[in-house]
Amino acid sequence: MTSRRSFLAGLAAASLAPLRGWSAVGAPDYLAAALFPDGTFRLAGLDAGGDILFALPLPARGHAAAAHPYQAQAVAFARRPGTFAIIIDCATGTQTAVLEAPKGRHFYGHGVFSTDGTRLFTTENDFEAGQGVIGVWNTDDYTRIGEFASGGVGPHDMRLMPDGRTLVVANGGIETHPETGRTKLNLPVMQPRLTYLDQNGQVLEQVELPQDLHKNSIRHLAVRADGLVGFAMQWQGDTSQHPPLLGLHRPGEKPWLFSAPNAEQSTLQGYAGSIAFSGEGETVAITCPRGNALHRFRVADGQLDGVFRHEDVCGLGTAPNGFVFTTGAGVIGQLSKNKAQISARPDCQWDNHLIPIRTAA
Amino acid sequence: MRALAIAIFLTLPQSVYAQDRGQILSDIIAVHILPGYAALSESTNALAEAAHTDCSPTSDQLRSAYHAAFDDWISVSHLRFGPSETEDRAFALAFWPDTKGFTPKALSGLIAVEDSAIQSPDAFAETSVAGRGFFALELMLYDPRFADQGSAEYRCALIQAISSDIDRNASAIDADWATYAHALANPGETSPYRSEDEAMQELYKALITGSEFTAETRIGRPLGTFDRPRPKRAEARRSERSLRHVELSLTALRDLAERLSADHPDIAADLDSAFTVAIDRAQSLDDPSFADVSTPQGRFRVEALQQSINDIRAIASTELGPTLGINAGFNSLDGD
Repeated sequence: MTSRRSFLAGLAAASLAPLRGWSAVGAPDYLAAALFPDGTFRLAGLDAGGDILFALPLPARGHAAAAHPYQAQAVAFARRPGTFAIIIDCATGTQTAVLEAPKGRHFYGHGVFSTDGTRLFTTENDFEAGQGVIGVWNTDDYTRIGEFASGGVGPHDMRLMPDGRTLVVANGGIETHPETGRTKLNLPVMQPRLTYLDQNGQVLEQVELPQDLHKNSIRHLAVRADGLVGFAMQWQGDTSQHPPLLGLHRPGEKPWLFSAPNAEQSTLQGYAGSIAFSGEGETVAITCPRGNALHRFRVADGQLDGVFRHEDVCGLGTAPNGFVFTTGAGVIGQLSKNKAQISARPDCQWDNHLIPIRTAA
Repeated sequence: MRALAIAIFLTLPQSVYAQDRGQILSDIIAVHILPGYAALSESTNALAEAAHTDCSPTSDQLRSAYHAAFDDWISVSHLRFGPSETEDRAFALAFWPDTKGFTPKALSGLIAVEDSAIQSPDAFAETSVAGRGFFALELMLYDPRFADQGSAEYRCALIQAISSDIDRNASAIDADWATYAHALANPGETSPYRSEDEAMQELYKALITGSEFTAETRIGRPLGTFDRPRPKRAEARRSERSLRHVELSLTALRDLAERLSADHPDIAADLDSAFTVAIDRAQSLDDPSFADVSTPQGRFRVEALQQSINDIRAIASTELGPTLGINAGFNSLDGD
């Protein structure tokens, strides 16, 4: 459905100045939402050093966002079960469009643009059927041009693979219905999946965990430049069990799960919030806001490589020499090989996620 | 239910008020938890016996044993941690909500091939949780679709197998509580709970998730929306138990709330009056299966009941939670 005009525009932008749009607003590395001290919810552009380059007002608390690949344009999603998302021009701070979920659908709060920026894909719930859907939007005017099955129930995070064509979806497996709030309707039979799809909805690969981990909801994703996928999980089973919350997957292979020693793992309350690879790609980390910890692992052998304690740590992104993280208590921090550096901003409560504007890896 | 959505963030290990938690923990275990699971184990034993005496779906004895045992389950169904979660016992006792109709499918599947799994308790315990427990038994006893499916002999044996499996799970939970009670009352190295605060927080979560489940699911599912009410989604509507489940769960949650707030009389009083309003509203409703949610008047009354439970939830999270060192965290809202 790419129009000739947007195709040419995308081509021109991609070939001439891939990040011109974002450079006009200070070339941020991430988008993140926060509650600011004046009581407003804002969408901020951050650089890897933790500096706030812009902070635009949002109508309500958001969940995550998606960044256009070259225009300084962001999609901010309402929290689950939100039925709208807004498009913000980050240069002017104005709202340029609103996406409304079709009847019978709501957003899960994550989305991703196609490489050329002409399409936006959004994770959605077909709540009467209890099945996940990926909505497809034309970014010229943000009209909906179609949808396809997500390959599972409760799709949450979604990323584009480095080939620029394949979508990877975290089908969390949990069925909810807006009439019953956040009540989980299918825990005993839930089946999370990591699903690879092409942009027409053709399922390329389905990855499931072993049956004894079927209550480990796959929710957030990170993709390394070579196509290695990291996934963070949230355990819905018995709280006396402390299963792995981080997994890696390479298409065509079996998933590989990482866990800290039990004494450490048992403090996480079965909950990982975000995942990212380090800039050089040798380590992968998850944030655990309920356990107030960030766990870093070596990709090569799965060894726990560091535990960093921060209250309500959740946002996590790739930085050139490590990671950047944010907390609900206002901290922005950088994690390099051996040290964590903190720039405290007690005036902002950072929301769940740091959304990369381009892949640093 | 333990694992249902909760926005709880466990903050400091030492809460602001440092009372002796031990006394409250012992009281809740001895008076609220252990007798509840013991009663369930006894009434499920009677249910299994009744099914073996007379497996006819219309048998008065069997139906009243079903109601008595189901009552006892609902009265402990908020205590979803530890023994109830081992081997998915609680889900095998109560597979609900069943949004995709797995229970009738599982039962029809067993009946169609006369699956021999029902002849062995071990083999039956390996079959789908959807085809076991109180909701499967309800369909066999009350749903006309199952009155003449397959042979009478197989239906009879299936009813007996489901009843015995219910008893087996309830007895296992009850037996395991003997050791789990010690772990809950004595936090530390050998317990799943590292401190008395953590043990108290588990019980607080039971109160929060239990009241949330009753408001949002037991009532929320049949309410649907004004334009599209969903009376057929009411819990155990065929045996007209939907409203009864709300009342039983509120009664049990009130007992737990009273004991949890024993050292804060002001909060205890606030919770008590909120529970009084909710239970009064439940008792004054004359709509056992929430069928009246389709009428504006009936809907209004069920919404008022739901609102009164939301008021309880608000008091519990804003008043009681902070005394236990629990605050709603900014980033720990479930699932985001």
